[in-house]
Amino acid sequence: MSKLGQVVEAVEKYNKFVLDQVKRARSDEQFGRELFNRWNETKAKTPVTHTPTGLPLPRLALPEIDEPGEIARYLFGEGLPGEFPFLNGAYREMYLEPVREIEAGSYEKKTSTDGAKEKTKGDDARPPEEPTRLFSGLMLAEDTNERFHYLTQHQRTHRLSTAFDGPTLYGIDSDADGVFGKIGEGGVAIDTVEDMVRLYDGFDLGSPNFSASMTISGPAPIIMAMYIAAAKRRFGPKVVPKLRGTIQADIFKEVQAQNETIFPIEASLRFLTDMVEFTTREMPRWYPISISGYHIGEAGSTPVQQAAYTLSNGFAYAEMFADRGVPVDQFGPRLSFFLDCGLDAEYIALARVSRRIWAIGMRDAFGAGPRGQLFKLHTQTSGRSLIAAEFKNNLTRTAAELTLAYMNATNSCHSNSADEPFTTPSEEWIRLAAHGQAILLEESGIFKHTMNMLSGSPGMKAVERAVEVAILDEFREIERLGGVLAAVEDRFQRSQIQNAAHRYEQQIYDGTRPIIGLNKYRNGEEDAPEIKLARTPRKKQQLQVDRLAKFKKKNAEKAKRALDKLVDVVERGENCFPALLEAVEVSSLGQITGRMQEVVGRFRPMV
Amino acid sequence: MAAPIRILTAVPICDGHDSAINTINLEFIRHGIEVIYLGYHRSVGDIVRAAIQEDVRAIGISSYNGGHVEFFGDVVDLLRKRGASDIKVFGGGGGTITHDDAEAMKHGGVDEIFFAGTSLTEMTDYVRERYGKPRKRAGAKSPDIELAWRLTEIEDGTRRSGREKKHQTSNIKHQTSRVIGFTGPGGAGKTTLIDELVLRFLNQNPKGRIAILSHDPSVIGEGALLGDRATMINSQNDRVFMRSMATRGQAGGLSPATDDCLALLAQSNFDYVIIETVGTGQEAIPFQKKGLVDLTVLVMNPDYGSRLQLQKIVMLDLADIVVVNKSDLQRARTAHTEIEQRLEQNRRNQRLIDTVAKRHRDPGVDQLFALICRNDQETRKKR
Repeated sequence: MSKLGQVVEAVEKYNKFVLDQVKRARSDEQFGRELFNRWNETKAKTPVTHTPTGLPLPRLALPEIDEPGEIARYLFGEGLPGEFPFLNGAYREMYLEPVREIEAGSYEKKTSTDGAKEKTKGDDARPPEEPTRLFSGLMLAEDTNERFHYLTQHQRTHRLSTAFDGPTLYGIDSDADGVFGKIGEGGVAIDTVEDMVRLYDGFDLGSPNFSASMTISGPAPIIMAMYIAAAKRRFGPKVVPKLRGTIQADIFKEVQAQNETIFPIEASLRFLTDMVEFTTREMPRWYPISISGYHIGEAGSTPVQQAAYTLSNGFAYAEMFADRGVPVDQFGPRLSFFLDCGLDAEYIALARVSRRIWAIGMRDAFGAGPRGQLFKLHTQTSGRSLIAAEFKNNLTRTAAELTLAYMNATNSCHSNSADEPFTTPSEEWIRLAAHGQAILLEESGIFKHTMNMLSGSPGMKAVERAVEVAILDEFREIERLGGVLAAVEDRFQRSQIQNAAHRYEQQIYDGTRPIIGLNKYRNGEEDAPEIKLARTPRKKQQLQVDRLAKFKKKNAEKAKRALDKLVDVVERGENCFPALLEAVEVSSLGQITGRMQEVVGRFRPMV
Repeated sequence: MAAPIRILTAVPICDGHDSAINTINLEFIRHGIEVIYLGYHRSVGDIVRAAIQEDVRAIGISSYNGGHVEFFGDVVDLLRKRGASDIKVFGGGGGTITHDDAEAMKHGGVDEIFFAGTSLTEMTDYVRERYGKPRKRAGAKSPDIELAWRLTEIEDGTRRSGREKKHQTSNIKHQTSRVIGFTGPGGAGKTTLIDELVLRFLNQNPKGRIAILSHDPSVIGEGALLGDRATMINSQNDRVFMRSMATRGQAGGLSPATDDCLALLAQSNFDYVIIETVGTGQEAIPFQKKGLVDLTVLVMNPDYGSRLQLQKIVMLDLADIVVVNKSDLQRARTAHTEIEQRLEQNRRNQRLIDTVAKRHRDPGVDQLFALICRNDQETRKKR
């Protein structure tokens, strides 16, 4: 049985354990009393806050139950926020505004956990980080840099999220044949370490208030090496252990959905593990992989498929890193997740259930300690749910999705701009998207007073049960196919996603899936929205090509030596990350990719 | 009945958004169109080369990653430069292509851009209406175009009967190429294996040229998805002439036009012509004795079932080389032993090779390539 099969067993066993605890609480009087007392104590210790209108509210809402069996079902089956199995949240308090007035009690001091703070708000030790993290990247490095400064001008903490252009995502250079028009489109163009220096110019990369997220997978180890090299150029070698951030590096989902893979699967996984081995040892504050369902969802999967494939990919990575000899308590806390949030009913509880399955699987199948059990989640509202027709409706769609995302206690969130169906978002619509989050979290009273404000409704519980059963069924199917890698090579996930996408389109065309403004309540005339498009001017594209030529010319000889050495290391099967760190100093992304492909081959697309 | 419309679809370079095109491909096929799908992340050069070799009526491009004005324009320009302006270009990109962009693209020679919300029916109707009428063409601008046109004429049966005789299968006097036939059950990895052999051929023969005739199944009157190009990354090369054919209702793994197309290719100065059948059943004998095929390779998947199933596979008696691909699978050793026994009974000096075609630089594929080259030299001596 693969690890995934063990995870299925662990969840089943845990569910049975919960039922046993319920029975025991009802039959074993002493146990029942203990639970009852603990419950009352938790309630009594919960601080009370006052809303601006003077209404007193507890900072943690708990169900109105006083029967030991039901208390057991809640405490073991869901867990208080921040407690195993983390259904209600990875942390005790999230999104809450600082305590206004404490009338009763206070929480016992929680033991400090370093990695746990990355994406939380409401953690006591450090000023809380805003959960807002907006994805951004356009034109050349200096243009994106300017956008980064604009986005973070009012923020205490600087949490950047970087989108790369097509050539960068495919590991090729801006001077490659036929890519000129793609330079700086849909993301920032990065060819060399010099571009990387420009990209984060003016930000203090070693600061505890700074973190960078980089959305790139195929060439992730090379880009990671460039980031480290750029940080060293600006702050010296001592900055390396202080670097905070995330790189996506999710190969499985690329093969399953997003198609940005550049090496064959096994080679890609090997280079990824090389990087993870390095960063977990040398950069304890870095998240070297963001296990992503977003692109699976955007490619057309159902929400259950999204969660099931993402979780199973995560467990497969964990198995791989453990096989390489990285201790589970070293890599476990450095794994993070990224999910899509759309408007289907599953999203009412999709992330909640995912958090629970991950915690049980990591604890019981992998033996992970508390920090390695946390499903730390970044959510993005669904880009696919946004449409061009009557595009201002997209504001409403995104607002509803944001509400769902926060109901699921996501650790950070990106809200899409309404103009996204046509273009790289423009500043006006980005501002509205960011304000959407602020309105929900800061202006409205939905999330800022009380943890669990919208958790645990009968409907939400029904969704939780149905979603968990469906996810475990998907796991069993993958297990039957021989595990994640075998299923991927069999195109299982790909074909499932494609089928779901096809069905979704059919439903739009036949009207069973209403899309307002598109197939329902359609405004007769089709007028193009007046949008100022963010397109990269040819002059800038040429500038990037020229800079790259200069870099290549300047480093020609050194590059050859560094690349020969890299090829040698790859050929011998050693960890290639140290050689990559040297190679990026003098060679470009495309040069490195090309030489590595000589040894391991190119990715053969699956159709 | 008119011959099916053939079109090529692709997603531009640095773009992996294939969700829309997958849906559209299926819809085209349902409406009787033969779709040669080139896949995602494909360059202008790859697209134009494939369109010319396949002699399609039009190219449909689905672009979601920006740079579309340049990309579509470059495709139109390169078609013109290569003398293939009769191949038209259309496409879409959801909301990423604005109405202004579309105007500019049409001004540059693109036929049509479909916007978000266009129904699938609208698109198929457009393609059938616009690209369904016969083309009148004269004076092919390059040898590849000339060859591609003649293949189309053979396939669509429009060549006048008098001249058609030239390509009768019996006439093998003018054969200049070695013809290698690949067959085997679906999912055995024939396509990947051929692509890996092509890579070795191109590396070893800096001036060599190769032709590939690849088949996918279709029913009379319906379309087909011809998708081999998407996985054959090494075969998208100026020294490789590839043609994808639908079987158009013929059983046995090949098309009614295969023999004549093969005869034409075999006398067109390629070093090798490779012919790949569709995934075949146990009883299939796709390559006739004394036909054009010099060497037959049967590619097997280790998971063929019981030994009894193995006895039923007719090609095991006829193939010159049997390959057990995916030999990294658990069942591969058993498969090797059982097939070896079966071949020994035949006493025909058939060769058995294990490969893992998906693995880069696989020693088994190297061995197969060497065997094919050696066999080639021996036969040439005998002639």
